[in-house]
Amino acid sequence: MVNSGEVVALFGPNGHGKSTLLKTISGLHQASAGSIKFNGLEISSLPSHKIVEMGIAYIPEERHLFRDMTVMENLKMGAYNRRARPSTQQNLAFVLEVFPRLVERKDQLTSTLSGGESRMVAVARGLMSEPTLLMVDEPSIGLSPGMRHAVFDSITKINREKKITILIVEQEIRNALKLANRIYMLKKGHILFERSATEVNVEEIEKAYF
Amino acid sequence: MNSFLNAIISGLISGSLYAATALGLTIIYGVSRVFNFAHGIVAVMGAYLAWTLLSSGGQLNLLLGIVVSLGVMYIFGTLVYRFTINPLMKKPGWDISTVLFLLGGGILLENVLLQIYGPRIKSIPVLVDGSIKFGPIVIQWNDLLLIVIAVFGIVVLNMFFKHTRMGQAMRSTAQSMPGAKVVGIDIEKIFGLTFGLAFAVTGFSGVLLSTKYFLNPHIGWEWMVKGFVIVSFGGLGSTNGAIFPGLILGIVEALVTLYLGAMWVWPIWFAIFLIVLLIRPQGILGGRV
Repeated sequence: MVNSGEVVALFGPNGHGKSTLLKTISGLHQASAGSIKFNGLEISSLPSHKIVEMGIAYIPEERHLFRDMTVMENLKMGAYNRRARPSTQQNLAFVLEVFPRLVERKDQLTSTLSGGESRMVAVARGLMSEPTLLMVDEPSIGLSPGMRHAVFDSITKINREKKITILIVEQEIRNALKLANRIYMLKKGHILFERSATEVNVEEIEKAYF
Repeated sequence: MNSFLNAIISGLISGSLYAATALGLTIIYGVSRVFNFAHGIVAVMGAYLAWTLLSSGGQLNLLLGIVVSLGVMYIFGTLVYRFTINPLMKKPGWDISTVLFLLGGGILLENVLLQIYGPRIKSIPVLVDGSIKFGPIVIQWNDLLLIVIAVFGIVVLNMFFKHTRMGQAMRSTAQSMPGAKVVGIDIEKIFGLTFGLAFAVTGFSGVLLSTKYFLNPHIGWEWMVKGFVIVSFGGLGSTNGAIFPGLILGIVEALVTLYLGAMWVWPIWFAIFLIVLLIRPQGILGGRV
């Protein structure tokens, strides 16, 4: 359950279903049971392109950029769905403001980018689809501390300025807690507990990992 | 010397036709990762469609035949995808099952064409008559036109991939299928359009090849093997990677015919193929759709 405008973080050990959950919501995986509702509509049987069109963007950990296209081409492909296309220019201006680094890189092929820059392109491309819910899988993994801060700051900015709801999977507990209003702890595919950001404590989360 | 130059020219002509036929193969594989083993017979079918209209009279009917052939092959491609490849791709082991299905379907189609048209060789007459002389070199207008058509077709295709929404969606799907899903591309629809486009391009290359060589229901296998060798240079899935190898192999073929004799053409083709696979199995030129 994620409310509109919230930032919710999902924690849990590797292999316990966090990424699978995001992939299932975004329609990349088929749910074997249960239901997924978005704005009151059942979406668990919809194909991925319908889900993007409804306003859910998923930023996979593996990024899945179009390697032989430039940064700009990748961003424009992000606005592929019918709903987002008319506002491509405004959205482009916003993502370039959030990720100024991409302005310098705009004509470079994404296969030549660093890990952090690729991550930025992935998030920016997701934003181009004009989502109301942005799901980000492990945005900081493999990044330098400086780059991590940049990525977290931009996610905060996206939430504040565009009122985009965010569901984030993250191993960097402390950083994610600064950002989140609420957290879920997943273990073995189930919710172990749920806390609001004010009542959470790091020890409890870290303990749950083992 | 003159025969050498003439061989180079005729190699360039046949090479551009081979490149054109390799395109259809590489487009389907690049976007959907399905290897079209019915490729040759699709080219043959496109050629027979054009021939059918042509044989009912007149030069004008050849143009009409080409247009009809393009349209029918496009529709045929989307139908083949929708009713056979699409359901197969939803099941595990699709990479093998689609190959076997297309191989079997190709053989079936070959025999259907054999029933309809018989085994006798047909040919599509030249598009334009006459020739032009550059000193010792004689070039048929028709050959020149074939090169122009092939090059023009390749340029148009590349512009389509680069600048149209549909073409960009095809390129995106080729470069990352999950990425394409994540940005909201309906990849099943893209696969269908890709099959349609590739079948039309392949059928058209069959028409071009039949004006230069001849047409019978079995010739498609030869075209497919040549297309496959060309594609191995650029790596399956690379459109640009099909062009230079096509031209080079065309020239090699012409020179082999001139100096060693036509019986050496196939051994040399296969030797080149094996060498490419040994050195760089992912293709020498690289680059995707």
